Amino acid sequence: MVRTTAPSTERRPFRPPVTADSFASPLHDRRTAALLGIALGVAFLVAFLTGLISHFIQYPPGWFLWPSRPAGLYRITQGVHVATGIATIPLLLAKLWVVYPHFWGWPPVRGAAHLVERISLIPLVGGSLFMLFSGVANIARWYPWNFNFPTVHYWVGWITIGALVAHVAAKIGITRSELRRRSRDGASEAVPAAALPAADGPGGLGRRGFLTTVATASGLLTLFTVGQTVRPLERLALLAPRRPRTGPQGVPVNKTAAGAVVTELARDPAYRLVVEGRGVQRRLSFTLDELRAMPQRQAELPISCVEGWSSSATWRGVPVRDLLAMAGARDGATVRVQSLQRKGGFKASTLNRDHAVDPDTLLALELFGEPLHIDHGFPCRLIGPNRPGVHQTKWVTRLVVK
Amino acid sequence: MTPTASDRPEGASEPGGPAFWVGAVVGWGVIVAGIVGLLSQSGQTRPSDAARWVLGAAVLHDLVLAPVVIGIGLLLTKAAPRRWRAVVQGAFVITAMVSLFSIPFVRGYGRIANNPSLLPGNYATGLLTVLAVVWAGAAVILVVRLRPLRRRPTR
Repeated sequence: MVRTTAPSTERRPFRPPVTADSFASPLHDRRTAALLGIALGVAFLVAFLTGLISHFIQYPPGWFLWPSRPAGLYRITQGVHVATGIATIPLLLAKLWVVYPHFWGWPPVRGAAHLVERISLIPLVGGSLFMLFSGVANIARWYPWNFNFPTVHYWVGWITIGALVAHVAAKIGITRSELRRRSRDGASEAVPAAALPAADGPGGLGRRGFLTTVATASGLLTLFTVGQTVRPLERLALLAPRRPRTGPQGVPVNKTAAGAVVTELARDPAYRLVVEGRGVQRRLSFTLDELRAMPQRQAELPISCVEGWSSSATWRGVPVRDLLAMAGARDGATVRVQSLQRKGGFKASTLNRDHAVDPDTLLALELFGEPLHIDHGFPCRLIGPNRPGVHQTKWVTRLVVK
Repeated sequence: MTPTASDRPEGASEPGGPAFWVGAVVGWGVIVAGIVGLLSQSGQTRPSDAARWVLGAAVLHDLVLAPVVIGIGLLLTKAAPRRWRAVVQGAFVITAMVSLFSIPFVRGYGRIANNPSLLPGNYATGLLTVLAVVWAGAAVILVVRLRPLRRRPTR
Protein backbone atom coordinates (compact mmCIF):
# COMPACT_ATOMS: atom_id res chain seq x y z
CA MET A 1 0.00 0.00 0.00
CA VAL A 2 1.12 3.48 -0.75
CA ARG A 3 0.29 6.38 1.47
CA THR A 4 -1.36 9.02 -0.65
CA THR A 5 -1.87 11.77 1.89
CA ALA A 6 0.93 14.20 2.35
CA PRO A 7 2.00 14.17 6.00
CA SER A 8 2.18 17.95 6.19
CA THR A 9 -1.52 18.48 5.47
CA GLU A 10 -2.51 15.52 7.65
CA ARG A 11 -0.89 16.98 10.75
CA ARG A 12 -1.89 20.62 10.39
CA PRO A 13 -4.76 21.53 12.76
CA PHE A 14 -7.65 23.59 11.46
CA ARG A 15 -7.24 27.35 11.56
CA PRO A 16 -9.90 29.79 10.36
CA PRO A 17 -8.86 32.30 7.70
CA VAL A 18 -9.15 35.17 10.20
CA THR A 19 -7.60 34.85 13.64
CA ALA A 20 -6.25 37.26 16.22
CA ASP A 21 -2.95 37.13 14.32
CA SER A 22 -4.53 38.66 11.23
CA PHE A 23 -4.54 42.15 12.69
CA ALA A 24 -1.28 43.87 11.96
CA SER A 25 -1.54 47.16 13.83
CA PRO A 26 0.63 47.19 16.96
CA LEU A 27 -2.05 49.33 18.61
CA HIS A 28 -4.10 46.18 19.27
CA ASP A 29 -1.99 45.71 22.37
CA ARG A 30 -2.44 45.19 26.07
CA ARG A 31 -1.12 48.51 27.22
CA THR A 32 -3.36 50.60 24.97
CA ALA A 33 -6.29 48.44 26.08
CA ALA A 34 -5.34 48.91 29.74
CA LEU A 35 -5.11 52.70 29.50
CA LEU A 36 -8.39 53.03 27.62
CA GLY A 37 -9.95 50.50 30.00
CA ILE A 38 -9.12 52.61 33.04
CA ALA A 39 -10.60 55.74 31.42
CA LEU A 40 -13.73 53.80 30.41
CA GLY A 41 -14.12 52.27 33.86
CA VAL A 42 -14.05 55.70 35.50
CA ALA A 43 -16.46 57.13 32.91
CA PHE A 44 -18.93 54.25 33.32
CA LEU A 45 -18.80 54.53 37.10
CA VAL A 46 -19.55 58.27 36.95
CA ALA A 47 -22.39 57.73 34.48
CA PHE A 48 -23.79 54.87 36.56
CA LEU A 49 -23.75 56.79 39.85
CA THR A 50 -25.21 60.00 38.41
CA GLY A 51 -27.80 57.90 36.58
CA LEU A 52 -28.68 56.13 39.82
CA ILE A 53 -29.16 59.50 41.55
CA SER A 54 -31.52 60.61 38.81
CA HIS A 55 -33.45 57.35 39.03
CA PHE A 56 -33.81 57.60 42.80
CA ILE A 57 -35.04 61.20 42.52
CA GLN A 58 -37.74 60.11 40.11
CA TYR A 59 -38.63 56.86 41.90
CA PRO A 60 -37.53 57.54 45.49
CA PRO A 61 -37.07 54.49 47.71
CA GLY A 62 -38.16 54.95 51.34
CA TRP A 63 -34.67 55.73 52.62
CA PHE A 64 -33.96 58.34 49.97
CA LEU A 65 -34.74 62.02 50.57
CA TRP A 66 -33.50 64.28 47.77
CA PRO A 67 -32.86 67.71 49.35
CA SER A 68 -34.13 70.97 47.86
CA ARG A 69 -30.68 72.53 48.28
CA PRO A 70 -28.27 73.31 46.72
CA ALA A 71 -30.68 74.58 44.06
CA GLY A 72 -28.44 73.65 41.12
CA LEU A 73 -27.28 70.22 42.28
CA TYR A 74 -29.41 68.19 39.87
CA ARG A 75 -28.33 70.47 37.06
CA ILE A 76 -24.78 69.38 37.83
CA THR A 77 -25.34 65.65 38.43
CA GLN A 78 -27.47 65.24 35.33
CA GLY A 79 -25.29 67.54 33.24
CA VAL A 80 -22.35 65.35 34.24
CA HIS A 81 -24.32 62.19 33.43
CA VAL A 82 -25.10 63.23 29.87
CA ALA A 83 -21.75 64.91 29.20
CA THR A 84 -19.90 61.84 30.50
CA GLY A 85 -21.94 59.57 28.26
CA ILE A 86 -21.15 61.70 25.20
CA ALA A 87 -17.44 61.90 26.03
CA THR A 88 -17.36 58.12 26.53
CA ILE A 89 -18.38 57.34 22.94
CA PRO A 90 -14.86 57.70 21.47
CA LEU A 91 -13.36 55.84 24.44
CA LEU A 92 -15.66 52.86 23.94
CA LEU A 93 -15.25 52.69 20.17
CA ALA A 94 -11.47 52.96 20.49
CA LYS A 95 -11.32 50.30 23.18
CA LEU A 96 -13.44 47.90 21.16
CA TRP A 97 -11.19 48.47 18.16
CA VAL A 98 -8.05 47.84 20.21
CA VAL A 99 -9.28 44.50 21.61
CA TYR A 100 -11.14 43.45 18.47
CA PRO A 101 -8.56 40.80 17.43
CA HIS A 102 -9.50 38.80 20.53
CA PHE A 103 -12.95 38.36 19.04
CA TRP A 104 -11.26 36.12 16.46
CA GLY A 105 -9.01 34.39 19.00
CA TRP A 106 -8.24 30.77 18.16
CA PRO A 107 -9.12 28.41 19.74
CA PRO A 108 -12.29 30.29 20.67
CA VAL A 109 -12.36 28.81 24.17
CA ARG A 110 -9.27 27.90 26.19
CA GLY A 111 -10.84 26.67 29.40
CA ALA A 112 -13.62 27.25 31.93
CA ALA A 113 -12.39 30.68 33.08
CA HIS A 114 -11.83 31.83 29.52
CA LEU A 115 -15.34 30.69 28.61
CA VAL A 116 -16.85 32.64 31.52
CA GLU A 117 -14.79 35.68 30.55
CA ARG A 118 -15.97 35.54 26.96
CA ILE A 119 -19.63 35.02 27.85
CA SER A 120 -19.42 38.00 30.22
CA LEU A 121 -18.35 40.12 27.25
CA ILE A 122 -21.78 39.73 25.64
CA PRO A 123 -23.61 41.82 28.27
CA LEU A 124 -20.57 44.10 28.56
CA VAL A 125 -20.20 44.94 24.87
CA GLY A 126 -23.91 44.84 24.05
CA GLY A 127 -24.81 46.75 27.21
CA SER A 128 -22.13 49.43 26.78
CA LEU A 129 -23.02 50.09 23.16
CA PHE A 130 -26.72 50.09 24.03
CA MET A 131 -26.31 52.52 26.93
CA LEU A 132 -24.45 55.06 24.81
CA PHE A 133 -26.61 54.61 21.72
CA SER A 134 -29.91 54.78 23.60
CA GLY A 135 -28.70 57.76 25.63
CA VAL A 136 -27.76 59.73 22.51
CA ALA A 137 -31.00 58.75 20.78
CA ASN A 138 -32.96 59.92 23.83
CA ILE A 139 -31.37 63.38 23.97
CA ALA A 140 -32.07 63.60 20.22
CA ARG A 141 -35.67 62.55 21.03
CA TRP A 142 -35.36 59.64 18.61
CA TYR A 143 -37.14 56.46 19.68
CA PRO A 144 -36.64 53.75 17.04
CA TRP A 145 -37.79 51.02 19.46
CA ASN A 146 -41.00 49.91 21.16
CA PHE A 147 -39.93 49.98 24.80
CA ASN A 148 -39.99 52.75 27.39
CA PHE A 149 -36.54 54.37 27.28
CA PRO A 150 -35.86 55.26 30.96
CA THR A 151 -36.88 51.84 32.28
CA VAL A 152 -34.73 49.88 29.84
CA HIS A 153 -31.81 52.33 30.13
CA TYR A 154 -31.98 51.81 33.91
CA TRP A 155 -32.05 48.00 33.91
CA VAL A 156 -29.48 47.63 31.14
CA GLY A 157 -27.35 50.01 33.23
CA TRP A 158 -27.33 47.38 35.97
CA ILE A 159 -26.59 44.61 33.49
CA THR A 160 -23.69 46.61 32.05
CA ILE A 161 -22.22 47.54 35.42
CA GLY A 162 -22.46 43.88 36.54
CA ALA A 163 -20.61 42.77 33.42
CA LEU A 164 -18.06 45.51 34.11
CA VAL A 165 -17.45 44.13 37.61
CA ALA A 166 -16.74 40.69 36.15
CA HIS A 167 -14.52 42.22 33.47
CA VAL A 168 -12.52 44.36 35.89
CA ALA A 169 -11.92 41.31 38.10
CA ALA A 170 -10.68 39.43 35.04
CA LYS A 171 -8.40 42.20 33.82
CA ILE A 172 -7.14 43.93 36.94
CA GLY A 173 -3.96 41.84 37.06
CA ILE A 174 -3.01 42.62 33.47
CA THR A 175 -3.86 46.29 33.92
CA ARG A 176 -1.71 46.53 37.04
CA SER A 177 1.26 44.91 35.38
CA GLU A 178 0.89 47.27 32.39
CA LEU A 179 0.91 50.28 34.70
CA ARG A 180 3.96 48.93 36.51
CA ARG A 181 5.69 48.44 33.18
CA ARG A 182 5.33 52.12 32.54
CA SER A 183 7.28 53.13 35.62
CA ARG A 184 9.95 50.61 34.70
CA ASP A 185 10.18 51.91 31.16
CA GLY A 186 10.30 55.47 32.36
CA ALA A 187 7.41 57.87 32.17
CA SER A 188 8.84 60.05 29.44
CA GLU A 189 8.43 57.66 26.50
CA ALA A 190 4.83 56.65 25.94
CA VAL A 191 5.64 53.97 23.37
CA PRO A 192 8.76 51.96 24.03
CA ALA A 193 10.35 51.20 20.70
CA ALA A 194 10.55 47.48 21.44
CA ALA A 195 6.87 47.25 22.32
CA LEU A 196 5.74 49.11 19.25
CA PRO A 197 7.72 48.25 16.16
CA ALA A 198 6.88 49.71 12.81
CA ALA A 199 4.40 47.05 11.78
CA ASP A 200 1.95 49.64 10.53
CA GLY A 201 4.62 51.10 8.35
CA PRO A 202 6.61 53.96 9.75
CA GLY A 203 4.65 57.16 10.09
CA GLY A 204 1.36 55.62 11.29
CA LEU A 205 -0.16 56.59 14.60
CA GLY A 206 1.78 55.38 17.61
CA ARG A 207 0.16 54.70 20.94
CA ARG A 208 0.56 58.25 22.18
CA GLY A 209 -0.83 59.62 18.92
CA PHE A 210 -3.74 57.19 19.01
CA LEU A 211 -4.67 58.02 22.60
CA THR A 212 -4.31 61.75 21.85
CA THR A 213 -6.66 61.29 18.89
CA VAL A 214 -9.27 59.53 21.03
CA ALA A 215 -8.98 62.17 23.75
CA THR A 216 -9.36 64.88 21.12
CA ALA A 217 -12.53 63.25 19.80
CA SER A 218 -13.95 63.12 23.35
CA GLY A 219 -12.92 66.69 23.97
CA LEU A 220 -14.48 67.98 20.75
CA LEU A 221 -17.77 66.17 21.35
CA THR A 222 -17.85 67.71 24.82
CA LEU A 223 -16.86 71.18 23.62
CA PHE A 224 -19.56 71.26 20.96
CA THR A 225 -22.39 69.89 23.14
CA VAL A 226 -21.83 70.94 26.73
CA GLY A 227 -22.99 74.50 25.99
CA GLN A 228 -26.51 73.13 26.35
CA THR A 229 -25.98 73.40 30.10
CA VAL A 230 -22.78 75.44 30.55
CA ARG A 231 -23.80 78.99 29.61
CA PRO A 232 -20.36 80.41 28.67
CA LEU A 233 -20.04 77.69 25.99
CA GLU A 234 -23.56 78.21 24.64
CA ARG A 235 -22.37 79.63 21.33
CA LEU A 236 -20.26 76.52 20.72
CA ALA A 237 -23.22 74.15 21.21
CA LEU A 238 -23.26 73.31 17.48
CA LEU A 239 -24.08 69.64 18.05
CA ALA A 240 -26.26 70.00 21.16
CA PRO A 241 -29.95 69.10 20.99
CA ARG A 242 -30.82 72.28 22.93
CA ARG A 243 -29.69 75.87 23.21
CA PRO A 244 -30.35 77.25 26.70
CA ARG A 245 -31.78 80.52 25.35
CA THR A 246 -33.82 79.11 22.46
CA GLY A 247 -37.50 78.69 23.17
CA PRO A 248 -40.60 80.67 24.14
CA GLN A 249 -39.56 83.53 26.47
CA GLY A 250 -35.94 82.44 25.97
CA VAL A 251 -36.29 79.07 27.71
CA PRO A 252 -36.44 75.68 25.95
CA VAL A 253 -39.56 73.54 26.21
CA ASN A 254 -39.79 69.77 26.48
CA LYS A 255 -43.54 69.20 26.25
CA THR A 256 -45.63 71.84 24.52
CA ALA A 257 -49.26 72.63 25.37
CA ALA A 258 -50.28 71.19 22.01
CA GLY A 259 -48.25 68.04 22.69
CA ALA A 260 -49.88 67.65 26.11
CA VAL A 261 -53.35 68.50 24.70
CA VAL A 262 -54.08 71.13 27.36
CA THR A 263 -54.42 74.31 25.28
CA GLU A 264 -58.19 74.71 25.77
CA LEU A 265 -58.22 73.64 29.41
CA ALA A 266 -55.38 76.04 30.24
CA ARG A 267 -57.20 79.01 28.66
CA ASP A 268 -60.61 78.13 30.12
CA PRO A 269 -61.87 81.01 32.36
CA ALA A 270 -63.28 78.32 34.65
CA TYR A 271 -59.69 77.37 35.58
CA ARG A 272 -59.19 76.86 39.32
CA LEU A 273 -56.27 75.89 41.48
CA VAL A 274 -57.42 73.58 44.25
CA VAL A 275 -55.55 72.70 47.46
CA GLU A 276 -57.02 69.66 49.15
CA GLY A 277 -56.23 66.23 50.58
CA ARG A 278 -56.10 64.44 53.90
CA GLY A 279 -53.21 66.61 55.09
CA VAL A 280 -55.15 69.92 55.10
CA GLN A 281 -57.75 71.39 57.46
CA ARG A 282 -59.45 73.52 54.77
CA ARG A 283 -59.96 72.84 51.09
CA LEU A 284 -59.03 75.96 49.08
CA SER A 285 -59.88 77.02 45.56
CA PHE A 286 -58.37 79.96 43.67
CA THR A 287 -59.07 81.68 40.37
CA LEU A 288 -56.07 82.91 38.40
CA ASP A 289 -56.78 86.51 39.51
CA GLU A 290 -56.90 85.42 43.14
CA LEU A 291 -53.51 83.77 42.74
CA ARG A 292 -52.14 86.94 41.17
CA ALA A 293 -53.47 88.97 44.12
CA MET A 294 -51.53 86.88 46.65
CA PRO A 295 -48.07 87.87 47.93
CA GLN A 296 -45.58 86.89 45.23
CA ARG A 297 -42.02 85.73 45.52
CA GLN A 298 -39.29 85.89 42.88
CA ALA A 299 -36.61 83.24 42.44
CA GLU A 300 -33.75 82.61 40.02
CA LEU A 301 -33.97 78.88 39.30
CA PRO A 302 -32.83 76.55 36.54
CA ILE A 303 -34.95 74.17 34.53
CA SER A 304 -32.65 71.12 34.63
CA CYS A 305 -33.75 68.52 32.16
CA VAL A 306 -33.03 64.84 32.60
CA GLU A 307 -31.73 65.04 29.02
CA GLY A 308 -28.77 67.07 30.22
CA TRP A 309 -29.64 70.63 29.19
CA SER A 310 -30.46 73.38 31.62
CA SER A 311 -31.56 76.98 31.52
CA SER A 312 -31.73 79.48 34.36
CA ALA A 313 -34.63 81.89 34.51
CA THR A 314 -36.31 84.41 36.78
CA TRP A 315 -39.63 83.07 38.03
CA ARG A 316 -42.30 84.85 40.06
CA GLY A 317 -45.29 83.32 41.76
CA VAL A 318 -46.93 82.06 44.93
CA PRO A 319 -44.77 79.98 47.31
CA VAL A 320 -46.28 76.54 47.78
CA ARG A 321 -45.62 76.74 51.50
CA ASP A 322 -47.85 79.86 51.76
CA LEU A 323 -50.70 77.88 50.19
CA LEU A 324 -50.03 74.99 52.55
CA ALA A 325 -50.10 77.36 55.53
CA MET A 326 -53.42 78.87 54.38
CA ALA A 327 -54.91 75.42 54.05
CA GLY A 328 -53.63 74.42 57.50
CA ALA A 329 -51.44 71.62 56.19
CA ARG A 330 -49.77 69.43 58.77
CA ASP A 331 -46.00 69.62 59.27
CA GLY A 332 -43.91 67.28 57.16
CA ALA A 333 -46.63 66.86 54.53
CA THR A 334 -45.82 65.71 51.03
CA VAL A 335 -47.71 67.21 48.13
CA ARG A 336 -48.89 65.67 44.90
CA VAL A 337 -48.88 68.36 42.21
CA GLN A 338 -51.33 67.59 39.42
CA SER A 339 -51.54 69.02 35.93
CA LEU A 340 -54.43 69.68 33.59
CA GLN A 341 -52.65 67.15 31.41
CA ARG A 342 -54.73 63.97 31.25
CA LYS A 343 -52.17 61.54 29.85
CA GLY A 344 -48.43 61.01 30.00
CA GLY A 345 -45.99 59.95 32.68
CA PHE A 346 -45.38 63.47 33.94
CA LYS A 347 -48.90 64.75 34.43
CA ALA A 348 -48.12 64.90 38.17
CA SER A 349 -45.13 65.05 40.50
CA THR A 350 -44.51 64.82 44.22
CA LEU A 351 -42.97 67.42 46.49
CA ASN A 352 -41.22 65.61 49.33
CA ARG A 353 -41.33 67.23 52.77
CA ASP A 354 -38.11 69.11 52.06
CA HIS A 355 -39.21 70.53 48.71
CA ALA A 356 -42.74 71.35 49.95
CA VAL A 357 -41.50 73.86 52.54
CA ASP A 358 -38.60 75.39 50.60
CA PRO A 359 -39.44 79.11 50.25
CA ASP A 360 -38.38 79.05 46.58
CA THR A 361 -40.73 76.22 45.63
CA LEU A 362 -43.27 78.29 43.69
CA LEU A 363 -46.39 78.01 41.68
CA ALA A 364 -44.97 80.39 39.10
CA LEU A 365 -47.22 82.81 37.23
CA GLU A 366 -44.47 84.80 35.52
CA LEU A 367 -41.25 84.10 33.66
CA PHE A 368 -38.78 86.96 33.17
CA GLY A 369 -41.48 89.42 34.28
CA GLU A 370 -44.14 88.30 31.80
CA PRO A 371 -47.09 85.95 32.20
CA LEU A 372 -46.03 82.37 31.51
CA HIS A 373 -46.14 81.27 27.88
CA ILE A 374 -48.66 78.47 27.52
CA ASP A 375 -45.82 76.07 26.60
CA HIS A 376 -44.18 76.93 29.93
CA GLY A 377 -47.32 76.00 31.84
CA PHE A 378 -49.80 78.93 31.81
CA PRO A 379 -51.76 79.62 33.96
CA CYS A 380 -49.31 78.37 36.59
CA ARG A 381 -46.55 75.86 36.92
CA LEU A 382 -44.45 74.32 39.63
CA ILE A 383 -40.85 75.51 39.79
CA GLY A 384 -38.59 74.56 42.66
CA PRO A 385 -34.92 74.30 43.49
CA ASN A 386 -32.99 71.11 42.74
CA ARG A 387 -35.66 69.22 40.80
CA PRO A 388 -35.51 67.43 37.47
CA GLY A 389 -37.35 69.35 34.74
CA VAL A 390 -39.90 66.57 34.32
CA HIS A 391 -40.93 67.15 37.94
CA GLN A 392 -41.52 70.88 37.44
CA THR A 393 -45.15 70.13 36.62
CA LYS A 394 -46.84 72.52 34.19
CA TRP A 395 -50.49 73.65 33.89
CA VAL A 396 -50.98 72.92 37.61
CA THR A 397 -54.56 72.64 38.76
CA ARG A 398 -54.47 70.66 42.00
CA LEU A 399 -52.26 70.22 45.05
CA VAL A 400 -53.11 67.08 46.98
CA VAL A 401 -51.59 67.27 50.46
CA LYS A 402 -50.82 63.95 52.14
CA MET B 1 9.19 40.41 11.73
CA THR B 2 5.67 41.60 12.26
CA PRO B 3 4.46 40.94 15.76
CA THR B 4 1.09 39.28 16.00
CA ALA B 5 -1.45 39.06 18.76
CA SER B 6 -0.15 35.74 19.97
CA ASP B 7 3.41 37.05 20.14
CA ARG B 8 2.33 39.79 22.44
CA PRO B 9 2.15 39.29 26.16
CA GLU B 10 -1.64 38.99 26.31
CA GLY B 11 -1.48 35.69 24.48
CA ALA B 12 0.23 34.20 27.49
CA SER B 13 -2.10 35.43 30.22
CA GLU B 14 -4.97 33.14 31.06
CA PRO B 15 -7.88 34.26 33.22
CA GLY B 16 -8.48 32.54 36.55
CA GLY B 17 -7.67 32.77 40.22
CA PRO B 18 -9.84 33.64 43.21
CA ALA B 19 -10.29 37.33 42.24
CA PHE B 20 -11.54 36.31 38.80
CA TRP B 21 -14.14 33.93 40.19
CA VAL B 22 -15.32 36.31 42.92
CA GLY B 23 -15.72 39.02 40.27
CA ALA B 24 -17.55 36.64 37.97
CA VAL B 25 -20.00 35.56 40.69
CA VAL B 26 -20.68 39.12 41.93
CA GLY B 27 -20.84 40.50 38.40
CA TRP B 28 -23.24 37.83 37.19
CA GLY B 29 -25.33 38.36 40.32
CA VAL B 30 -25.80 41.98 39.28
CA ILE B 31 -26.39 41.01 35.64
CA VAL B 32 -29.09 38.54 36.67
CA ALA B 33 -30.67 41.17 38.95
CA GLY B 34 -30.78 43.53 35.96
CA ILE B 35 -32.35 40.89 33.74
CA VAL B 36 -34.93 40.03 36.43
CA GLY B 37 -35.72 43.75 36.80
CA LEU B 38 -36.11 44.08 33.06
CA LEU B 39 -38.46 41.10 32.95
CA SER B 40 -40.44 42.29 36.00
CA GLN B 41 -41.45 45.48 34.17
CA SER B 42 -42.12 43.78 30.87
CA GLY B 43 -45.02 46.10 30.06
CA GLN B 44 -42.57 48.98 29.80
CA THR B 45 -39.40 47.17 28.83
CA ARG B 46 -40.74 44.80 26.14
CA PRO B 47 -37.97 42.32 26.98
CA SER B 48 -37.71 40.74 23.53
CA ASP B 49 -37.39 44.16 21.90
CA ALA B 50 -34.87 45.31 24.54
CA ALA B 51 -32.84 42.10 24.07
CA ARG B 52 -32.85 42.61 20.32
CA TRP B 53 -31.37 46.09 20.70
CA VAL B 54 -28.75 45.08 23.29
CA LEU B 55 -27.58 41.94 21.48
CA GLY B 56 -28.08 43.60 18.10
CA ALA B 57 -25.70 46.37 19.15
CA ALA B 58 -22.96 43.83 19.91
CA VAL B 59 -23.53 41.85 16.71
CA LEU B 60 -23.71 44.96 14.55
CA HIS B 61 -20.47 46.25 16.04
CA ASP B 62 -18.51 43.00 15.87
CA LEU B 63 -19.65 41.81 12.47
CA VAL B 64 -20.30 45.05 10.57
CA LEU B 65 -18.87 48.21 12.11
CA ALA B 66 -15.51 46.83 13.24
CA PRO B 67 -14.69 45.06 9.93
CA VAL B 68 -15.62 48.17 7.97
CA VAL B 69 -13.44 50.36 10.20
CA ILE B 70 -10.53 47.91 9.98
CA GLY B 71 -10.92 47.79 6.20
CA ILE B 72 -10.88 51.57 5.92
CA GLY B 73 -7.85 51.62 8.22
CA LEU B 74 -6.00 49.21 5.91
CA LEU B 75 -6.83 51.29 2.84
CA LEU B 76 -5.70 54.40 4.65
CA THR B 77 -2.40 52.81 5.62
CA LYS B 78 -1.75 51.97 1.99
CA ALA B 79 -3.05 55.21 0.49
CA ALA B 80 -1.66 57.90 2.77
CA PRO B 81 1.92 58.99 2.19
CA ARG B 82 4.16 57.81 4.99
CA ARG B 83 4.93 61.23 6.42
CA TRP B 84 1.27 62.28 6.47
CA ARG B 85 -0.06 58.99 7.69
CA ALA B 86 -0.37 59.54 11.44
CA VAL B 87 -2.10 62.89 11.12
CA VAL B 88 -4.47 61.69 8.40
CA GLN B 89 -5.31 58.60 10.45
CA GLY B 90 -6.05 60.75 13.48
CA ALA B 91 -8.22 63.18 11.52
CA PHE B 92 -10.18 60.28 10.01
CA VAL B 93 -10.76 58.68 13.40
CA ILE B 94 -12.12 61.95 14.82
CA THR B 95 -14.22 62.57 11.70
CA ALA B 96 -15.79 59.13 11.98
CA MET B 97 -16.56 59.43 15.69
CA VAL B 98 -18.01 62.94 15.53
CA SER B 99 -20.07 62.06 12.45
CA LEU B 100 -21.45 58.91 14.05
CA PHE B 101 -22.58 60.90 17.08
CA SER B 102 -24.17 63.56 14.88
CA ILE B 103 -26.36 61.27 12.78
CA PRO B 104 -29.59 61.59 14.82
CA PHE B 105 -29.19 65.36 15.04
CA VAL B 106 -28.35 65.90 11.38
CA ARG B 107 -31.18 63.62 10.32
CA GLY B 108 -33.51 65.29 12.83
CA TYR B 109 -35.44 62.09 13.57
CA GLY B 110 -36.79 63.57 16.80
CA ARG B 111 -38.09 66.87 15.42
CA ILE B 112 -41.66 67.75 16.42
CA ALA B 113 -43.56 70.41 14.47
CA ASN B 114 -45.07 72.02 17.58
CA ASN B 115 -41.75 72.35 19.45
CA PRO B 116 -39.13 74.46 17.63
CA SER B 117 -36.94 74.68 20.75
CA LEU B 118 -36.11 70.98 20.28
CA LEU B 119 -33.17 70.39 17.89
CA PRO B 120 -33.12 74.09 17.03
CA GLY B 121 -29.82 74.15 15.16
CA ASN B 122 -28.77 73.39 11.62
CA TYR B 123 -26.80 70.29 12.52
CA ALA B 124 -25.47 69.59 9.03
CA THR B 125 -23.78 72.98 9.09
CA GLY B 126 -22.71 72.37 12.68
CA LEU B 127 -21.11 69.04 11.81
CA LEU B 128 -19.35 70.48 8.75
CA THR B 129 -18.05 73.32 10.91
CA VAL B 130 -16.65 70.92 13.49
CA LEU B 131 -15.07 68.77 10.77
CA ALA B 132 -13.58 71.87 9.16
CA VAL B 133 -11.97 72.69 12.50
CA VAL B 134 -10.63 69.12 12.76
CA TRP B 135 -9.09 69.10 9.28
CA ALA B 136 -7.75 72.63 9.63
CA GLY B 137 -6.05 71.46 12.83
CA ALA B 138 -4.68 68.42 11.00
CA ALA B 139 -3.38 70.66 8.19
CA VAL B 140 -1.61 72.90 10.68
CA ILE B 141 0.05 69.90 12.34
CA LEU B 142 1.12 68.56 8.93
CA VAL B 143 2.62 71.88 7.85
CA VAL B 144 4.54 72.16 11.09
CA ARG B 145 5.79 68.57 10.87
CA LEU B 146 6.70 68.61 7.21
CA ARG B 147 8.54 71.93 7.31
CA PRO B 148 12.02 71.13 6.14
CA LEU B 149 14.59 71.26 8.88
CA ARG B 150 16.56 74.40 8.29
CA ARG B 151 20.07 74.68 9.44
CA ARG B 152 20.69 77.45 11.88
CA PRO B 153 22.60 80.12 9.98
CA THR B 154 26.18 80.30 11.11
CA ARG B 155 27.80 83.62 11.56
